[in-house]
Amino acid sequence: MERGYWIRSKPVYTSLMWQEKATSHLVVAQGSGGMAVLKIFQQMHPKQPITVLYAPSSDSIVDYASTLKKVVPEGLQLFDSVQEMLTTLKEILPTMYMGMRVYVAGSEGFIWTIAESAKEFGIEDIDMIKELTGTLARSIYCVHCKAITHNITTNIGKCAGCERMLFVRDHFSRRLGAYMGLMVDAESPGQLPEIEEIYP
Amino acid sequence: MNMINIKVAAIEQVTPLVKHFTFVNKDGTALPAFSGGSHVVVSLDINGRVHRNPYSLMGSPEDTSAYHISVRKQEKSRGGSEYMHENVAVGMQFKITYPVNLFSLAKKGRKHILIAGGIGITPFMSQIADLKRTGADYELHYAFRSPEHGAFVSELEQGCGTKFHCYTDSNGERLNLDELLSQQPLGTHVYVCGPNSMVVAVLEKARNFGWPENHIHSEQFLAPPIGEPFKMQLARSNKEILVPAEMSMLEAIEAAGVEADFLCRGGVCGRCELQVLETDGALMHNDHFLTDAEKASCKKIMPCVSRAKCERLVLDI
Repeated sequence: MERGYWIRSKPVYTSLMWQEKATSHLVVAQGSGGMAVLKIFQQMHPKQPITVLYAPSSDSIVDYASTLKKVVPEGLQLFDSVQEMLTTLKEILPTMYMGMRVYVAGSEGFIWTIAESAKEFGIEDIDMIKELTGTLARSIYCVHCKAITHNITTNIGKCAGCERMLFVRDHFSRRLGAYMGLMVDAESPGQLPEIEEIYP
Repeated sequence: MNMINIKVAAIEQVTPLVKHFTFVNKDGTALPAFSGGSHVVVSLDINGRVHRNPYSLMGSPEDTSAYHISVRKQEKSRGGSEYMHENVAVGMQFKITYPVNLFSLAKKGRKHILIAGGIGITPFMSQIADLKRTGADYELHYAFRSPEHGAFVSELEQGCGTKFHCYTDSNGERLNLDELLSQQPLGTHVYVCGPNSMVVAVLEKARNFGWPENHIHSEQFLAPPIGEPFKMQLARSNKEILVPAEMSMLEAIEAAGVEADFLCRGGVCGRCELQVLETDGALMHNDHFLTDAEKASCKKIMPCVSRAKCERLVLDI
């Protein structure tokens, strides 16, 4: 990547840190994101009420649920799947007030699934504190057939929809939670650059 | 700059200090469309000196047959508001800029809390027309000194019904910001327009409750303050000019025949920003646009409201 050059749509992820000014806190995590939750509970606990939602992930070998039960002092809810978690999230959000801070940790796919649900309640993704954990694997959106292929760890990946070989770009759609994928050998069919793992 | 020629069609005394002016296009055609929260800059030639003041458009954006502004007579007027009150009569013609919106509603907002103090009610009058048209959820909170100073209250009561809340200071009625801002549903936006103390209080309260910056909106046009006269050099125009006590830097630049960019003329939009090439004194920044770091750097200035206290000031214009 050229120095000083940046694709504006590419999301920036940070580490979870309590925001002092708030009316309440909602921490949402999946799989390896459990570690980010354990880390934030190493910091001074905020004064306002805390809710923590956690679901395990098939990609994460470690399930942090049992440790979270010991560490999180209040408001912990555990789920078997993200689907169940989303159902609860949609019940909680209408009862919350402005000033609720949202913290999300997990895979990129998980973060943007939560962002999409939160958006329905007027929470913009820029207002959420997001920590990417476990893997840099990308979802890619094929600009040719519109299919989305998950868990791409290489610079070039095969589209699950049309089987074209797609170059994985940094251009990111917040609505789809996916990066743009563009046919890499359109001008010289079959001639592919070296395929390397760069999003382990 | 492209201007619109207008004619004063009606003037109404709304309160002891506020007059409502209705403008129509000089040629009788429709005026340019605008959105709720927009303002225009009215250009007045007063004794050979051009005054340009920003005023919010109050009418419904759906009605472009006329523009409506309200002007509060300022105690320490540099001439603009006093002239509007004392000298402007029906039938007079002058120029205004095209509408610009620096205080627009957040279209994705799920609820809108509008807080007005005194003449700060004006931008909300057009915003409310937009909110009613889209059926958005909103509340209007309007505070003023005493009953006779509550401009447009009966109109708002009628138009907004239970969404309208007013607070008359002389009756001891106060807006409780803690109550108002601590229990709003997610996706709410707050907007404030009024005196500085009110704007600061709302911004601080919302931030302390953890409202994200992009949900907090304010508009506060500043009148250029009266100060000490000082000299400045315009490097590109190769001119040395005096900024008199009652003139802003921007007005002095314009009076010298140098064309300068501007939009709001109230320290809000940032359009008139000038590079400071050299100075040996202090810049007195009065705008709401530059960051504290930029103000401290002494490299930029907003000539519409700011001044300087120095022997030498060189600007890149």
